[in-house]
Amino acid sequence: MRGMAALVPKHDTLQSALEAASQSASGLTFVDLRERESFVSYREFHTRARRAAAFFVNLGIRPGDRIALIQSTSPEFVDAIFGAVLAGAIAVPLYPPLRLGKLDDYHAATARMLRVTEARLVVSERRLRLLLGRTLSKARPPLGCTLGDELTSGSEEFAAPATSEQVALIQFSSGATVDPKPVCLSHRGLLYQCAALHQVLIESSAPPHSGVSWLPLYHDMGLIGALFNAVYYPGHLVLIPPEHFLARPAIWLRAISRHRATASFGPNFGYALCVKRIREHEMQNVDLSSWRIAGNGAEPISMGIIRRFCEKFSRFGFDGRAFTPGYGLAEASLAVTYADVARGAKAVAVDPSRLASLGEAGDGDFEIVSVGRPLPGTEVEIRDSEGNCLPDRRVGRIHFRSPSVMTGYFGGFDSASLALSQGWVDTGDLGFSVDGELYVCGRAKDLVIIRGANHPPQEFESCLESVPGVRPGCAVALGFLPRDADGEQLLILAERAPGPEEGLEERIRSAVLERTGVLAHTVRILEPGTLPRTSSGKLRRHEALRQFLTHQLKAPRPVNALSMAGEVIRSAIGLAKLGLADEG
Amino acid sequence: MDTPTEDQVLEEIRRLAAVELEIVHPIEADHHLLKDLRLDSLGLTVVAVGLEDRFRIKLTEEDSAQISTVRDLARLVADRARGTAR
Repeated sequence: MRGMAALVPKHDTLQSALEAASQSASGLTFVDLRERESFVSYREFHTRARRAAAFFVNLGIRPGDRIALIQSTSPEFVDAIFGAVLAGAIAVPLYPPLRLGKLDDYHAATARMLRVTEARLVVSERRLRLLLGRTLSKARPPLGCTLGDELTSGSEEFAAPATSEQVALIQFSSGATVDPKPVCLSHRGLLYQCAALHQVLIESSAPPHSGVSWLPLYHDMGLIGALFNAVYYPGHLVLIPPEHFLARPAIWLRAISRHRATASFGPNFGYALCVKRIREHEMQNVDLSSWRIAGNGAEPISMGIIRRFCEKFSRFGFDGRAFTPGYGLAEASLAVTYADVARGAKAVAVDPSRLASLGEAGDGDFEIVSVGRPLPGTEVEIRDSEGNCLPDRRVGRIHFRSPSVMTGYFGGFDSASLALSQGWVDTGDLGFSVDGELYVCGRAKDLVIIRGANHPPQEFESCLESVPGVRPGCAVALGFLPRDADGEQLLILAERAPGPEEGLEERIRSAVLERTGVLAHTVRILEPGTLPRTSSGKLRRHEALRQFLTHQLKAPRPVNALSMAGEVIRSAIGLAKLGLADEG
Repeated sequence: MDTPTEDQVLEEIRRLAAVELEIVHPIEADHHLLKDLRLDSLGLTVVAVGLEDRFRIKLTEEDSAQISTVRDLARLVADRARGTAR
């Protein structure tokens, strides 16, 4: 699959994009929980960013240094990120801690991200600085920690010259490994992504466009998809802190209505929250008819949620054709594919057991939503395990090649394999094509995506080590799409230790919730030896999920040489028969 | 608004749980936020932001260390609204 011809972004660097935006009348509006608004123009931000850049340089920041930002959605975050860019540094946005969240894992993860990017400075905010003490004492950034509101207090201004090849941003990707990897993105890649999104999403309908976003600015969809895109366009963008959206989802739709916004994006769970939690009285006088592009990405998309969202909000002027699903990953800057604008979500209905057992998208009743076609200049291939391209409706690993691809992982990790593959990146996701459109149906990499957040499975599995009754090291955490749920959910498959099983499921659920803040949808207790393993004894998560979905998870029989031989023959016959059995 | 009593905060927690989180069973003061109410990270955020807004206080991430039950949370919010909490 190949997108339209590559295009040329109208800016080479974020510097020149911001400078051009500063000539416009547009800017950013910040909305709080009570829907009070404050506006800062791009002109003002340009000056503020130049001041922040001078602050950074005076502090000792040199071109190429990493500056970590641990801030909530605020004007100070925008100062810091553009200030870092104007200083010639590399911005590394990291997620701030959750209110009332558990902090041990947070400190460890954040300290690690500061260390692997060798961040020289952390920008944070008053509310968080004390709290970050533990993280900072572990990571020890040489220039310490500064507060966002200090950046623009001086009057000196600075802007370093930049080239399009220079790395401007590092964002973390959850790949196939335990720890998230630092993805380096150049000005060129970022601006290419903006230009491509601009062409397929924005230019397809009449101007003027404006946006509303509650997506976290430490995540590609919020930072690149919303903020950088608005600056590139340039157009008006309304920003809502994510925690305020979570607390009161109606704020999102009301802001779209108030500002007559045309573009606003969210992951599946954001739409699900609106369906579930917005009440009639909150929608008084709300008119969503201006909303032409309702982007949907970052996690598996449920057709059920899309339908329920349309049913609930069409009375308020929402046009279902606005739904525009997309697919991407940190390594691509953001998006790889997007569906055609103004068409609405389109799905194919497949047989889920055939899909899981044979890797074939045959007709059935399980709907998978199309995530569209490759962006301009972008190619997508579905490959089998030998690297051969697969025909339509055959499941394989999704590979892509794009001008917005990362320059590599920071520290050179894995960069050799990227160069060898001639720019092709294995996404670790599973999908198939139908008539030039991509359908994502699973993951070969070990990753659980809950409400748009990527969790390595080890995060959940490590919680179970101390749960009495679980066979040590014999549990796997997986993401799956249950039919009754709004999106991807957590599945725990755990083998029990010898002894009574009473209350074990509850103990597992509690342990995971307490440590990770995620409630497991399904916990299945298994007999010892049930989980599939490699020859070296490592658990095979993906195979475990396949067996779970096809109801094949079974306790092992005692093994001897003879029964083993029988097993091999049976499974060979079984494989051949499976398709017939499923059709019957 | 007058400084809220612990009971008023408790009522607000019950209201948030029922209205925003659709928790149907009755909530008692000694219920554990995680073990009994099963609040996940989204649930905790909804409750925390709701309480901050209603009682004009700030809950920080550090507060999580002192809180395990509904009563702990109600007490902390009431104390903070009185301006006596750390």
